[in-house]
Amino acid sequence: MLKATLRSFLAHKGRLALSALAVILSVAFVAGSLIFSDTVNRTFDRLFASTSADVAVSPKDDGLDESLPTGRTPTLPARVARQVAKVDGVAATYVDVSVENVTVVDGDNEPVGPTTGAPTVAVNWYKSERSPVELTSGHAPRGPGQALIDADTADKRDVGIGDTLRVLAAPGSFEVKVVGIATFRTTNPGAALVFLDTRVAQTALLGDEDAATSIAVDAATGVSDAELKRRIAAELGPAYELKTADEQAESAAAELGGFLDVVKYVMLGFAGVAVLVGVFLIVNTFSMLIAQRTRELGLLRALGADRRQVRRSVLIEAVLLGVVGATLGLGAGIGLAAALIELMGLLGMNLKSTEMVIGWPTPVVSYAVGVGVTFVAAYLPARRAARVSPMAALADAEIAGVGRPLRLRAVVGAVVGAAGVLALVGCATADRTATSASLLGLGVVLTLVATVVAGPLLVRPVIRVLGGAFPAVFGSVGRMSQRNALRNPRRTGATAAALMVGLALVGGLSVASASMTKSFDEQIDKTLGADFVVQSGSWLPFPAEVTAAVRDTEGADTVVRNRFTPLELRMPDGRTVKSTAAGYEKDLDEVVNVTYAEGDTARALAAGHIAMDQDFAEDHGVRVGTVLPVRFPKGRAAELTVGALTDQDTAEGPGMSGGLFMGLGTLEKYVPDGQDTAVYVNAAEGTGAGTLRDRLDAALDPYPQVQVRDQADYKELIREQIAVMLYLVYALLGLAIIIAVLGVVNTLALSVVERTREIGLLRAIGLARRQLRRMIRLESVVIAVFGAVLGIALGLVWGVSTQQVLALQGLKAFAVPWSTVVAVVVGSVVVGIVAALLPALRASRMNVLEAIAHE
Amino acid sequence: MSTPASTPGTERAEPSGTAARARGLTKAYGAGETAVLALDAVDVDIARRRFTAVMGPSGSGKSTLMHTLAGLDSVSAGQVWLGDTEITGLKERELTRLRRDRVGFMFQSFNLIPTLSARENITLPMDIAGRRPDPEWLEHVIDTLGLRDRLRHRPAQLSGGQQQRVACARALAARPELIFADEPTGNLDSRAGLEVLGFLREAVDALGQTVVMVTHDPGAAAHSDVVLFLADGRIVDEMAAPTAEAVLERMKRFDTSQGTARATGTAPAAAPGNPGHDSVRTDPGARGASPGPAPGATAPPPAPPAPEAHAAPPDAEPRED
Repeated sequence: MLKATLRSFLAHKGRLALSALAVILSVAFVAGSLIFSDTVNRTFDRLFASTSADVAVSPKDDGLDESLPTGRTPTLPARVARQVAKVDGVAATYVDVSVENVTVVDGDNEPVGPTTGAPTVAVNWYKSERSPVELTSGHAPRGPGQALIDADTADKRDVGIGDTLRVLAAPGSFEVKVVGIATFRTTNPGAALVFLDTRVAQTALLGDEDAATSIAVDAATGVSDAELKRRIAAELGPAYELKTADEQAESAAAELGGFLDVVKYVMLGFAGVAVLVGVFLIVNTFSMLIAQRTRELGLLRALGADRRQVRRSVLIEAVLLGVVGATLGLGAGIGLAAALIELMGLLGMNLKSTEMVIGWPTPVVSYAVGVGVTFVAAYLPARRAARVSPMAALADAEIAGVGRPLRLRAVVGAVVGAAGVLALVGCATADRTATSASLLGLGVVLTLVATVVAGPLLVRPVIRVLGGAFPAVFGSVGRMSQRNALRNPRRTGATAAALMVGLALVGGLSVASASMTKSFDEQIDKTLGADFVVQSGSWLPFPAEVTAAVRDTEGADTVVRNRFTPLELRMPDGRTVKSTAAGYEKDLDEVVNVTYAEGDTARALAAGHIAMDQDFAEDHGVRVGTVLPVRFPKGRAAELTVGALTDQDTAEGPGMSGGLFMGLGTLEKYVPDGQDTAVYVNAAEGTGAGTLRDRLDAALDPYPQVQVRDQADYKELIREQIAVMLYLVYALLGLAIIIAVLGVVNTLALSVVERTREIGLLRAIGLARRQLRRMIRLESVVIAVFGAVLGIALGLVWGVSTQQVLALQGLKAFAVPWSTVVAVVVGSVVVGIVAALLPALRASRMNVLEAIAHE
Repeated sequence: MSTPASTPGTERAEPSGTAARARGLTKAYGAGETAVLALDAVDVDIARRRFTAVMGPSGSGKSTLMHTLAGLDSVSAGQVWLGDTEITGLKERELTRLRRDRVGFMFQSFNLIPTLSARENITLPMDIAGRRPDPEWLEHVIDTLGLRDRLRHRPAQLSGGQQQRVACARALAARPELIFADEPTGNLDSRAGLEVLGFLREAVDALGQTVVMVTHDPGAAAHSDVVLFLADGRIVDEMAAPTAEAVLERMKRFDTSQGTARATGTAPAAAPGNPGHDSVRTDPGARGASPGPAPGATAPPPAPPAPEAHAAPPDAEPRED
C-alpha cells in the first residue's frame, strides 16, 4: 500500500506542483520571520551584552507612557557618580549623557541623521571597553565646538573631518566641527551618533552641567553585578533605578522588541494569508486528484484495501507534499531572511547575513506548518476517497457534473452566516467602542466562514448572472465556459474563495480608510482655524528656538504653542486613568474651533484647571468644578479643577483617552522640561497667507525637522499616515492574489486534464484552438469575477460595520472608494485572463487523437 | 466507387461520385528501427451516398485510415482529398474548419459535451462556426432520430442509445459531405446498437448522406453497402452487399492467414447474436490492445477484383439482423 502511495505521489507530482508552491510560500514566511528575528535578537543581545555597564544608575521610571513624545530627557545629578564611587566594590564610575531627540544638520541645513525614523543620538565621549564604537580617525572631542561622528553616517552623508555641523538640541542649537570618526565595533542598530565632550554634552544637550542621563558603574574584581547593585541600592536608597548588565540588556531588548514585533507580525500576517489561501488550493487539488482517480481507488477497494487504508494512502500523500513543501519552504525562508537582512542594511541597520541564526524552533515550526496545513487540507478529500465504492472500478462513470447535495453546507452556512450578521448588527448598534470592536471581529470571522462554506451554493445563482451574457456574446463557446464554471460548484467555490478572502479584506479596509480620511478631512475643515501649523511630520517635539523663529517672523500675528504630557488622573469613581494631555496657549479659540458642552476656552485654560470630553467625564462621575488629583512625570503631583467639558467628534486618539487639555502655563508648571510639539500661526491683518508662508518657510529653513502646513497640507499629512497602513494591507493582498491566481491556474489545469476527452471531441468536431483558449479564458474570468464580487460584497459589509465602530470614535463620515471597487473588479478580469494563459495553452496543444482514443 | 487496387494512379475521379479519396496514403509511427507502418500506400475511394464499412483485425490500421481521411491525423506520405479539396498539406486551422463545416463525427463513447443539452450538442458544430442551422432540416433530423422529447436533456440524463442518437443527429445536422463513425455501436447493447445502425442506414437511404463506419462487428458491417477489409495497413479485400456471415467468414480467413505470424488472437469481438463466431478464438484480454503488424508478416491474399456493383439501389441490398 505504501508503495502504491509513493508511486501515486510521484505520478502526480506535476499536478501537486502548485499546491507545493502554496505550502512553500506559507512556510517561507514563517521560517523567514523566525530566522530574521532570531538573527536580530542574537546580534543585539551580543551588542547589549558587550556595551552594558556592570550596573547602571538611571532616573526613576515614573510609570507614565509617553504615547506622544514630550521632548523631555529624564536626568539625574552627575554628582551621584561620586557618591556611588565610594561604595565598596565599585571599580569605576562614568557619567553618561545620551539624548535621542536631537537633529543634526550640515552646512546646507540638511539633516545628517537617518530619514527612516531611526533616531539621531548625541552622546558624551569617553574611552571605555564597553563603547559600541572606537575612534578610527581624528581625535577625541575636547571642549566645546568639537564632535565625533559615526563612520556609517559620515559615509552616507559625505561628512568628513573638518566639516561643520549644527546640533539642534532642546537648550539651543550650536555648531561643532567634526574632529574624528568613530566606527561601530559590532552592529550599527541604524541610528546616527554624534559624540561630544562630556561637559559640553551636559550643558549643551541637557542644559545643566550637573546632569546625566545615567551613571555607568564597573564592578571590582570578585564582586558580582547583583551584589554590587545591592550595595549601591543601600547607599542611594530608592530614588534611582538600578540595573545589572543582564537587566539592561533585557530592557534594551524589550525596547527593540517593539520594532521587531512589527516586522514579525507583518511576516506572520503574510504567512497567515499564505496558509489560509493555500488551504483552499490544496483542498481543491486533492479533491480533483481523487475525483480523477475514482476508478483507481475503486480498484484498490475491490482488491481488498479497506477504507482506512485508502484514507491513509491519501493522507500520506498529503504529508509527503507537506514535507517536500516545508523543506523547500525552509530554504526559501532562509533566502527571505537574508533579503530582509539586506533590506535592514539599506535602512541603516547593519546585520550580517553570515551570522544568520537558525534555532531549532525554526525547522520544527516550518515542518509543523507545512505538514499540518496539507494534512488538514487533505483530510476531507481523504475521507471522500475512503467512501469510494469498489463498484467505481467497474462503472464507466462520467465524473464531471457529479455533485453531491450541498444541503449540509447550506445549513451550516446559513447558521454561521446568521450569527455573523447578528454580530455585525450588534457591532453597529453597540455604543461602547470595546464591545463594538469585538463584535466586529467576531462578525468578520463568522461571515467569512459562512461565505466560504456557502460559497458553492452561491456559484449557481451568481455565475448564471455574471455569465448570463456569455452565450449571447460568445455563442456556444461562452455557453460552455459558463456551464463549465457551474459544473462543479464546490470546486468553483473553493477556487474563488481564495480570491475572495484577499479582496474582502481590501474591500473592508479601503471602505474604512476612505471613511476615516473623509472624517478627518471634515474635522480638519471644522476644527482647524489656524492659517498654518508648524510641526514635524512624525509629531516629534522641537526646541524652543523654532517657536521663537515663528514668533519673530514678520506678519505672524497669533501664535499658539501646543505641548503634550503624559499624566495619571485619579477619578471620582475611584479609577485611575493614564492618558496624555495637551497644553495650549490662551488664544486657542483663534486657531482651533472647540465645541464646549459646558464652560469655555478661558475656563478650560485657566491656571490649575483642566478640560475633558463630556462623555468621558460622565463615565467617571466628573463634573465642572470637580477637583482631580493628577500625577505628572517625575512624580510631580497636583490637583486640577475641571474647568470645561467639550463636545467634540474626535476627542480621543490612541493613548489619549478623555480628550484632556489645559492651559500651557499649567502644563509647564508641572512639566518644565518639555518641548513644543506644534505651533499654530495666524497671519496678521494685511499680511497675505502666501506671503506669511514664504516668510515662515524661510525662517524655518535651519530647522528641517519641522514643516509649515496649511489646512490642505495637514489633510495630506493625515491621509499619508492612513495610506501607510493601507500599503501594508495592499502588500498582503498582493500575496493573497498571487496564491489565488495559482489556485485558479491549478483548478483550470487539473480541469483541463480531467476534460481531456471532451476537449478532444470538441477539437474533432471543429472547435478551433483559438476558440478553445477563449473557452478556458472565459471560464477563468467568470471564476475570478465571482470571487471578486463575493469578496467585494463581503468587504463592503465589513467596511460598513467598521465605520460604525469608527463612528463611536467620532469618525462619523462614510465613504465607499468606488474607484477601488471598480479597479478590483476590472483587476479580477485580468487575474482571470492571466490565470488561464497556461491551462489554455496546454489545452490547445493537446493531441486530438490521444484525447479521443478509447480508454 | 472503384476498388482501390483497380484504379491505381487515377488522378481524376468523378467528383460527383467520390466523397473522399486517398492515393498512396501512408502513415508511419515512430522512426527508424522501431517505425511501424499503420497504413501502407493505401488507395481508396469513398463513394457518395453510400454506407461504407471499414473492417479489419485490431492494429490493421482502420482507425488510422479514418483519422487521416477525416483530417484528424497527418499523413506520412500520399494524398487525401475530401470532395475536390486536397486536405494533405492543409494547415491545422484549415483542417479544423474543414472538420467543422464538411465532416460529421460519431465516436464509440464520449460523444457529447456533458454541460450542453441534447439540442445544444446537436447544433454545436454550427454554433462553433457561427452559422444558423437550417431549421427545417434540423427538425427533420430530430424527428427522424426520435429525439423530439429529449432535446432539453443533458447527456447524463440519456441512455447510451439515446446518446448515440444525439451524436448521430449532430453528425447529420450540419449536412456534412461525409460522416465518420468510429465503432458507434461498440458501447451499446444489441438493441440500441441495431437502432443506431438503422439510423445510419436511414441517413444514407432517406437523407442522402455519405457514411464511413469503422467497426469490428460483422453484424454491424452487414448494414453497410460495401465493406473494405484492412490488414497490416493495406486494403486487402472489398465486399459489396455484405451479410454478417460472409463478413465473418472473410474475417476468419484473416485469422488463419495471420495465425502463423501472430501470437495473440486478434479476432473481432463477438457480435451479439453473431452465428458461427468462434468464441474460443476470442481473447478478451487482447481486445483493444493493438499490437502493430509484425514486420514480415505473411502477406495477405490478393484482393479479388471489385465488381462495379455499387450503383445498385440501396434498398435492393439484403438486410440482416
